[in-house]
Amino acid sequence: MISEKYVIEIDKQTTNKYLISALCIGIAFHGTSIFFTLESTYDALIHLFFADHYANSWFEPWNYKWYTGFTVMGYPPLVHQSIALFSYIGGLKFGLFTVAIIAVILFITGVYRFALLITSNRTVAGYAAILAVFSSSFLETLHIFGQLPSILGISVLMHALPDIYLWIKTGRYRYLLTAYSLLAVTVTSHHVTPIFGMVFFIFPLIGMVIMDAAREKVTTIKEVTFSVFFKTFLKLFWRIVGFGIGSLFLIITCILPYWINTKNNPITQVPIPHGSRDNYLEVTSSGLVFFLIPWGILLCILPYIYYRYYSKRYLFFGLSITILTILGTGGTTPIPIKILGENAFNILTLDRFTLWASIMSLPIFGEFVFRFVEGDLKQCIQDRYGSAYHKILGGCLISGFIFVSIFTMSLGYFRPSQPQKIKMLPIVNFLNQDQHDHWRFLPLGFGDQMAWLSTQTNAMTVDGNYHSARRLPELTTRAVERLENSKYRGVEGIGSLQQFLTVPEKYNLKYVFSNDKFYDPILYFCGWQRLRQLENGIMVWEKLNIPPLSTILPKDEVPLFQKLLWGTIPVLTVLIAFLINIQQIWQRTIRSKKLRTSEYLFFKNDYTRFRNKLLGFSHLWVALLILVFSIGMYSFYVKNTSQISPINVVKAYYDALDFKEYERAYSYIDPTSHKTKDQYMLEISVTDGLLSSYAKLDEIKISILTRTDSLAKVKVDTYWITPLERVDKTYFHEIVKYEGNWYIKPLGYDLDIPPDQFFSNVEPQFYNHGRRRITSEQTAHEDVLKQPVLEVLNAKLLMHDDNYAIIGELQNVDNVPADVVIKGTLYTDLNAPLATYNVKHQMNHKLMPKEVTSFRINFEGTAWDDSSLKAPNTFNPDEFTTIELEERPSLFNLQCSGNVATTDLYKGLSINDLEINDQDLSGVLFNTGLQEVTIPQLLISYYNQEKQLIWVDHHYIREGVKPQRKQFFKYKIKDLSGVEVVSDQMDFVFINGLPNADISEKVVPNRNIIHELSSLLPIEGKGVKYLKIETNSYVGNPN
Amino acid sequence: MIGIGFSIFSRATVDIPITLQTKQTIFKAGDNIVLRFTTNEQAVRLYCHSSYGVSILDANKDGKDVIFTIPDHFTSKKGVLNYKLVHTTKVVFEGVITIVANSETTTQLETYIGPPDITAGGKNHTMMVVIPTDSYDNPVEDSTSIKMKHQFLDTEKETIQFSKDFIGWERIFSFERSGRILASNEVNGTASKEFAIEVFSANAVDFEINYQRKHGYADGNQITTFTTSVIKDMYENIISDGTLVTFFVRNAKGMILKTNGTTVNGIAKGKLLHPDHMDQWEVKAYITGIAESTTLSLIYEQSTADFDVNFQNKNRRIRVGPLQSFMGQRMPDGAVITCLIYREGKYLETKTKTSSNGFVDFIVDEGFYPAGSYNFKIEGLGIHKEFKDVVL
Repeated sequence: MISEKYVIEIDKQTTNKYLISALCIGIAFHGTSIFFTLESTYDALIHLFFADHYANSWFEPWNYKWYTGFTVMGYPPLVHQSIALFSYIGGLKFGLFTVAIIAVILFITGVYRFALLITSNRTVAGYAAILAVFSSSFLETLHIFGQLPSILGISVLMHALPDIYLWIKTGRYRYLLTAYSLLAVTVTSHHVTPIFGMVFFIFPLIGMVIMDAAREKVTTIKEVTFSVFFKTFLKLFWRIVGFGIGSLFLIITCILPYWINTKNNPITQVPIPHGSRDNYLEVTSSGLVFFLIPWGILLCILPYIYYRYYSKRYLFFGLSITILTILGTGGTTPIPIKILGENAFNILTLDRFTLWASIMSLPIFGEFVFRFVEGDLKQCIQDRYGSAYHKILGGCLISGFIFVSIFTMSLGYFRPSQPQKIKMLPIVNFLNQDQHDHWRFLPLGFGDQMAWLSTQTNAMTVDGNYHSARRLPELTTRAVERLENSKYRGVEGIGSLQQFLTVPEKYNLKYVFSNDKFYDPILYFCGWQRLRQLENGIMVWEKLNIPPLSTILPKDEVPLFQKLLWGTIPVLTVLIAFLINIQQIWQRTIRSKKLRTSEYLFFKNDYTRFRNKLLGFSHLWVALLILVFSIGMYSFYVKNTSQISPINVVKAYYDALDFKEYERAYSYIDPTSHKTKDQYMLEISVTDGLLSSYAKLDEIKISILTRTDSLAKVKVDTYWITPLERVDKTYFHEIVKYEGNWYIKPLGYDLDIPPDQFFSNVEPQFYNHGRRRITSEQTAHEDVLKQPVLEVLNAKLLMHDDNYAIIGELQNVDNVPADVVIKGTLYTDLNAPLATYNVKHQMNHKLMPKEVTSFRINFEGTAWDDSSLKAPNTFNPDEFTTIELEERPSLFNLQCSGNVATTDLYKGLSINDLEINDQDLSGVLFNTGLQEVTIPQLLISYYNQEKQLIWVDHHYIREGVKPQRKQFFKYKIKDLSGVEVVSDQMDFVFINGLPNADISEKVVPNRNIIHELSSLLPIEGKGVKYLKIETNSYVGNPN
Repeated sequence: MIGIGFSIFSRATVDIPITLQTKQTIFKAGDNIVLRFTTNEQAVRLYCHSSYGVSILDANKDGKDVIFTIPDHFTSKKGVLNYKLVHTTKVVFEGVITIVANSETTTQLETYIGPPDITAGGKNHTMMVVIPTDSYDNPVEDSTSIKMKHQFLDTEKETIQFSKDFIGWERIFSFERSGRILASNEVNGTASKEFAIEVFSANAVDFEINYQRKHGYADGNQITTFTTSVIKDMYENIISDGTLVTFFVRNAKGMILKTNGTTVNGIAKGKLLHPDHMDQWEVKAYITGIAESTTLSLIYEQSTADFDVNFQNKNRRIRVGPLQSFMGQRMPDGAVITCLIYREGKYLETKTKTSSNGFVDFIVDEGFYPAGSYNFKIEGLGIHKEFKDVVL
């Protein structure tokens, strides 16, 4: 226990060299490094996008660019408006960096003032300021997360704390005014900071004030009993209440439009998983990022921090930091979820609690370092262990501190959270050309750089990067942060994306910029086509038949007063705070008035007797930490040592394959198998297809079938997320032990040799000029091609497994290739529309002249729209959310439209062999053409006894087919005994807006239906008598 | 005539002495229209209203008269122009001017042709629509004569149509041949630009197919190519490039195999790999619903008469081969051989391997297959062999 002396001693108001050094180092260090880190952080570019909004329309809160329109009133505007203001001088990025540097300055000075308030010692506060510069939580928040508003909010809050203290202590209104002015700035820069800051920083501070006031009434701290404390509390009660009411008023009024908006558009979304809610012991990466890094070296002196904060004066800070620490552990313990409640737990990101706890620790850390470097702790250690030990310990402490800082700063370099920086100019130019910005676009695989793209173009996207503002139910009902990175959200993400890609006309979505070839297959099978590759390597995909955006788009209007409040108050708070505070600083500088020493400086700590017990306990603690750390490292090593057991080696092998680290994969191959590395690499390089090029390993189950000492046979069930569906594939491996290590025996590979060394093919190719004259005017009438004429040969509405589907067959009866979009609508008896959907991937979207395709429309609802239904934990590949129909549909309408297609017309796949074994269909595909088919798809049509179509199914083949090579496939024939035909009335089938019946009569008047019927494959299925198999090929790299 | 027009169309409504000096009420578009009134009251304004819109004009004074010059955007628009002379808030005089298209200016043509492609045979047609206008974009008077012309191969046709309700139109029917029709038109000496109408061939008629192959053996390796004759429509036009022809193959087991070809100059080619066992194929090609081919019948002879199966290494290695093709040469790599393993009548596993250098080796590992009596079935290239009670 450190006894506190009641010393009245007026500090000399000299310039604090520590603070000045901290500022210089801080500005130089952060000011330089932000140029390399800030743009690749998670949030910085989002703030830049908002800033761009304010720079262009300061008072208009509606932004059309994201989410089919959203309001920027969903986020406090100060930081964005400041960037916008600076952008008028030197552009948006100038604004961003300037505000970041200002945030650094405010943070360092804020920590200084907070430390001075807590410790009443300028040197200690100076130490704290220097430590703050390299504090790992601050580094992480700024350089990895890019959370400028958070930093600004907490920094200004720390500036406000001394004034709050002084107001309650002295009752001078000047302090109250200053405190209010700073609090207002905090509120307008970040909404969560003042609310929780109130609880975790200001409440303990009030406790400390009362404690200090009570201390003044008695002679020693020990005499501060509860009754004394309570009496003092009553005495200060009205000041506290006054401050409280004022703060509440500020929190509400300064960002009033925000609260109104929150009330009108409550966040009803499905929570998005966040690493800070994980169990850190299970998900070690989250533990690293959200616990170990922010605490950093502070973990070592945790006992000291707690010891100091649980001393009587700081008791309330002690309680506060305890709660913060616990809340910061996320899902590791069940306590945070119990404290916060399930709802708040799922909305809040819990890393901020750790950030606050570490910031709260900084004054005590400063004190510790002060005592270690030049105070009683140094003396204590030197006396007990000698000066050499003190130096070594100092060295370790500094090394650890610097190591954590460097590690934090370099995290973004070694484990980039973002894709490589994309040159946006080609995309921006593309959108500006030829009225491409009259449609919405969708970036895929851009990471947070999509915000930067949005700032640079006027074109709009259906996606966005501020998920609280999402409005479309397709997005809010799923835990998908962005469509752009949906592959990281498993099936939910892919499902959401598929909905947008299937019905793009609903959102006027015409262009997709793909920076990740993972998404290419789903684009192709949903009927999109490649337009071209831009010079920055981004592939542009386009969908035909999409109407452009209307000139006038809907928006939510807000009253004028809200717009005015939103546009003026934030900047005004800064101006007012600046004026009030500059006055103080000015007075201090020119010493025009004799300054009163701040009250809190009277409560000096005694830094003369460091407790030996504390030192001993700290040693024990560090030893324990080292032990835990070592155990952790060891278990990590054992878990990841690949060849220690058959299961480990298989796991490691698939991990290597998943990450395409083929050299590592080869190292697990049986060395006695005579498979050379060259041969292995070659075998890998010639395989292409859904599994090897577009899949991400999702789950792996390994079971040992038989095992001897040196041999094992394992069954590996792998589950892969692909853009199309979740794929499972079972492999059997033989594992051998050789010199203590387990190895995998190589699988056989295709030895087949194609017959022709060199061959040629003649295929027609097509080109459409589009606009023949280079003009920005509307396309000339004669340059518009006629829509190809299609004919629906048959179509019906079915019910199967309680799902409704429209199936049918369609032929391109024109003389040009067609891109086909089919849209189905279900109607009740009374012609009331029930649901509308397009054909997704159960058809061949690109048809050559006279080609026929089967199709099926599933009516998908928005998944898990009903909040009472929980999203399933496991994924069923065939699952989709059935639309909820209010009534039974009895009629259907089909709108088919054709557009001239010139690409993706590869028809080179043939069915070379077939065999039916009970309900298993197996066969051989043969690629007769010149292109490598990356993903073959089979469309299987089922017919009944009367040769009427009753179902259409699809099947993706996991491996690609190279020219003149075979690919084996297996398909399980479905049981269709339960299919019920609801309607086969084709009165409402339209082609390009014209009735299908008229077209049928005119274009192919003497249709020979025998052609279709005589080429069906007879089978003995359940409810099925005939099959038809069509092929569809996705060519990944057309040559 | 003008006098009657005046009395019908113009009248003074309030008792301010006012006279319209301008007697002309019908103007050609683009003419300078000046209305001159004689009146004592100088503070008048002219309210003009036409299909273009509404305007209020201030007066220019000329002695005792007031003059209004009607702006160009009114005078260049064909139709009726109403005007009212207004004094303070009262209408003091009303009148109507008729503006007609200006036939003295150069005629402009606006032409539409659709659809831009039709099919041959004379049943299908496209339509050319012409809107002749004066240089102010006013449609010319009805019954203006329009020369409609089109050319196809050696044929050049010209007809005269008269405009009615502002437009003149003509149907252009296709001919029996496919190709391109060029069309144009001419009004008052102004010729339109050239328009192209694509005439595609009509629906295909039945055709023949043929095949080429390197040999008639079922070696599972060579490719058989099916070729159509030049596919034409009933008018002897070669069908459009890219038309999909599907070749259906019914094999001896009744399975239906298929391959596609797209036509180039009327010929489509489909390819299939030879079967690896003796088979008979019936081949027929379709342009679905429209045309079909003759039927081809192909026989693939067995290429491998037999193969040896040797048990080596204490029966733990089963060596199949040499696999020999029709001349006794080694089978090209990739022939599929399967080995089904049974123990005491119970099925255990199927191993499938492809041949390399004419051999396929199956290893029956000691670790997985303990010593005992096994049955093996070896299948491939249409040959089945069974080995019973092999002791490992």
